[in-house]
Amino acid sequence: MYSVETKSLTKSFGDVTAVDDVSFSVEKGEIFGFLGPNGAGKSTTIMILTTLLKPTSGQALIAGNNVMTDPKKVRENIGYVQQETTVDEYLTGRENLLLQAKLNHIPKDEIDSRIDEVLDLIELSDKQNESVVTYSGGMRKRLDIAGGLLHRPKVLFLDEPTVGLDIQTRRKIWEYIKRIHDEFEMTIFLTTHYMEEADQLCDRIGIIDGGKIQVIDSPENMKNAMGNEVISIIIEENNSRDSFLSELKNIESVNKINEDGSKLTLFVSNGTEVIPKVFQISSDIGIKITSISLTQPTLDDVFISYTGHEIRDDDGTFNRKREHAKMKRLRA
Amino acid sequence: MNTLMYDTYTIFWRELKRYKKSRSGVLIRLIQPAIWIIVIGNTFSGTQPLIQSVGFEGEYIEFMAPGVIILTAIFTSIFGGVNTLWDRRYGFMNKALTSPISRSAIALGKMSAISLIAALQASLILGIALAIGVTFPNPIMIAPIMAIVILFSLGFSGISVMVAATAKSQETFWGIINFLGMPLFMLSPALFPLELLPDWLATVAKLNPVTYTVLLVREMMTGVSEGGVSIVLSLGIIIVFVLVMVGLASYVFTREVNKPF
Repeated sequence: MYSVETKSLTKSFGDVTAVDDVSFSVEKGEIFGFLGPNGAGKSTTIMILTTLLKPTSGQALIAGNNVMTDPKKVRENIGYVQQETTVDEYLTGRENLLLQAKLNHIPKDEIDSRIDEVLDLIELSDKQNESVVTYSGGMRKRLDIAGGLLHRPKVLFLDEPTVGLDIQTRRKIWEYIKRIHDEFEMTIFLTTHYMEEADQLCDRIGIIDGGKIQVIDSPENMKNAMGNEVISIIIEENNSRDSFLSELKNIESVNKINEDGSKLTLFVSNGTEVIPKVFQISSDIGIKITSISLTQPTLDDVFISYTGHEIRDDDGTFNRKREHAKMKRLRA
Repeated sequence: MNTLMYDTYTIFWRELKRYKKSRSGVLIRLIQPAIWIIVIGNTFSGTQPLIQSVGFEGEYIEFMAPGVIILTAIFTSIFGGVNTLWDRRYGFMNKALTSPISRSAIALGKMSAISLIAALQASLILGIALAIGVTFPNPIMIAPIMAIVILFSLGFSGISVMVAATAKSQETFWGIINFLGMPLFMLSPALFPLELLPDWLATVAKLNPVTYTVLLVREMMTGVSEGGVSIVLSLGIIIVFVLVMVGLASYVFTREVNKPF
């Protein structure tokens, strides 16, 4: 039995299809990540899996329980840490966890020891009796995550666990997530739009874009499939660009080329031999190369190769507008 | 059933915790009813002969004190549901909705906390009334009066939670609540005896559950019964009102929170 399993899961809001025929399964004990830009359908998928939204069609099972027909069973088996921090500012850290424990029906005689245990794990024991108002963003997030795992759910959902946090805090949160995973052997399902996060944490990644899953594999396999090197070229565009491209494609060890305006990304198996050839072709055709670099493939490159565009952190405004329009339609 | 009570208590506990931590709010909410009782109570002190014509011996302020206690209860409880909107906005609601507790428990917990808070606020106003010279023929009546206030507020908190769950924005919530609150208060004998109202207003007032609560509390405070409405009738109407509101609120709440916010 899989911890999470979806079959052709689809969710439409009016004429916008947020999640489009998504099928995947997550093994017990795995850290599985959904990687995609804002508005790709990650949060919508999580909301379906946590029983907050009903799918338009398709099926989703959590530890064998159908989210549509048996939501109560599903809720007993999940922990859900939302994208926004949701801890109660008026309450102390400990009171927040106490509330979470009660909401999740943890037996009375175990509540105190469980809270002590997670407070210790997220290193907030000495601040536990202070109001959350005094906590930093990172501390609030840790408290939120602690609340999600207090009842030892079979599946812990983390929606963008480090969004809006600085890089040191982000690394710290990753450490806690790894520690949680090791200690409780929980299945963790997370969404992120940070490549590094997916790379650091996940056993397997599903790349999602425009509501569709583009590929599911381990980060290593994805990177290896790219060929072992990446050449990034920035050119000055002119009308011989297309012939330049087709010439490049003819080079034997070039596996794949992605073009994004003046930026070309070549996935190659033998970079040091390809670079001189690139220069040769460019001078023959009359294309000016502004810069060229040879790197190891990153998940970024993987993402570009599957979606044809970069994952952007800064296109939030556009998508927020789209989200807003979507929500407005829902209300009408 | 046991689980429902446990879960309701969990939400109730959380709401009261939040109330306790917002001390400034407690005082701010007292200002308006305090102004009512002090200013209106004295402004209309000249209406004493009118009050006496329907059988009240004391001063106007003693006549209207029960009305202001109910005013406090109405407004504290009908405003009380507004944090449902915050909860939905800031994720607490989703946290509760993805936990095994039932939707009704969330509504019931909120309602019971709101009505207790309303009664606390009302008892503070009662204290102010006593401090400015309102006398009480029978101090033991305070306990049953408070019980009535809690019960009555439960009905109004139901209205509040229902509106908050349905409204998607603060503006809608406040619009509807202000539209409901003031008329319900005004169309009752809280400030003026039922017998002296024009017929059509008296008829409308008799359809208003606030009327019966005011009559009941006033009778308990002053010992004068009014308009030929018996205690049993008043109590019966309040109980029916509360049961309907609680039932309706948990139904509407459950239906509304299952829709995306």
